[in-house]
Amino acid sequence: MGNLDKYSKIFMKSFSVEKTKLKKLKYQSVPQWDSVGHMSMVGALEDAFKITLEMDDIIDFSSFEKGKKILKKYKIKI
Amino acid sequence: MKKKSLNSVELLDYQPNRYPFLMIDYVTKIIPGKKAIGYKNFTNNEWFFPIHFPGHPNVPGALQLEALAQMLTVAITTLPGNKGKVTHAISHIVKFKREVLPGEKFDIETEVLSWKRGICKGTGKGIVSGQIACEAEMIITIPEILDQYIPKK
Repeated sequence: MGNLDKYSKIFMKSFSVEKTKLKKLKYQSVPQWDSVGHMSMVGALEDAFKITLEMDDIIDFSSFEKGKKILKKYKIKI
Repeated sequence: MKKKSLNSVELLDYQPNRYPFLMIDYVTKIIPGKKAIGYKNFTNNEWFFPIHFPGHPNVPGALQLEALAQMLTVAITTLPGNKGKVTHAISHIVKFKREVLPGEKFDIETEVLSWKRGICKGTGKGIVSGQIACEAEMIITIPEILDQYIPKK
C-alpha cells in the first residue's frame, strides 16, 4: 500500500468519510473531527508511519491537505 | 508522586469529586500512569438506597461506573503536573454482572492502557466478594491538556 492510500484510509476510518470528500476535509468540518477525533487521527498516523509529531505540527494539522505538507517534514512523502 | 496509597483525606487532592458523589473511600495502591486500586464501602446510609429502590436497595449501575472512572482518574492525576486537574469522560462501555447491595465492599481496580496528550484509555473492574460486579472500557480526558493540542480556528 502506498503512502497516499495509507494516509487516506486513516482519515476515512477516523472520521467516517468517503474518499471523494477527503480533499476538502478540515478540522471540525465533520462532527467526528473534533478534539478527541483529532488526537485519535494523529495517533493513528504516528503508528502507521512510525513517527512522533511535534506539538506545533499537531496544532497546525488543520486539514487533510495541510497534513500532507506537515508529514513532509518527517520525510513522509504523500 | 512517591506515595503508594491515598487515604480518604489525601485522595481529595487527586480527585475533584466530593460527597455525596465521591465514589472512592480509599486508594490502596497506585502506580501513576499505570494503575490505581482501592475500594468503596456501600453502607446502609448511602443517599441513594432509599430511592434505588424502595424495598430492594442496590447500587445504581451509573454510580458503579462512576467509581471506576474516578479511580482511573486517580491513576492519571497522580502523574507529575496533573494534581488537582479536572477530568471529563469521553466514552465508556460497561457491562454489569451482579447487583451490589447495602453493606458490601466494592473493590475497584483500574488500569491505564494509554495516556497521551490529555487522553487516557483504560479499563476498570468493580469486584464484590471476589465476583466481578461490573467491568468497563473507558476513555477520559484532562481538557486543560487536550486543548493545547487542537488546531486553532
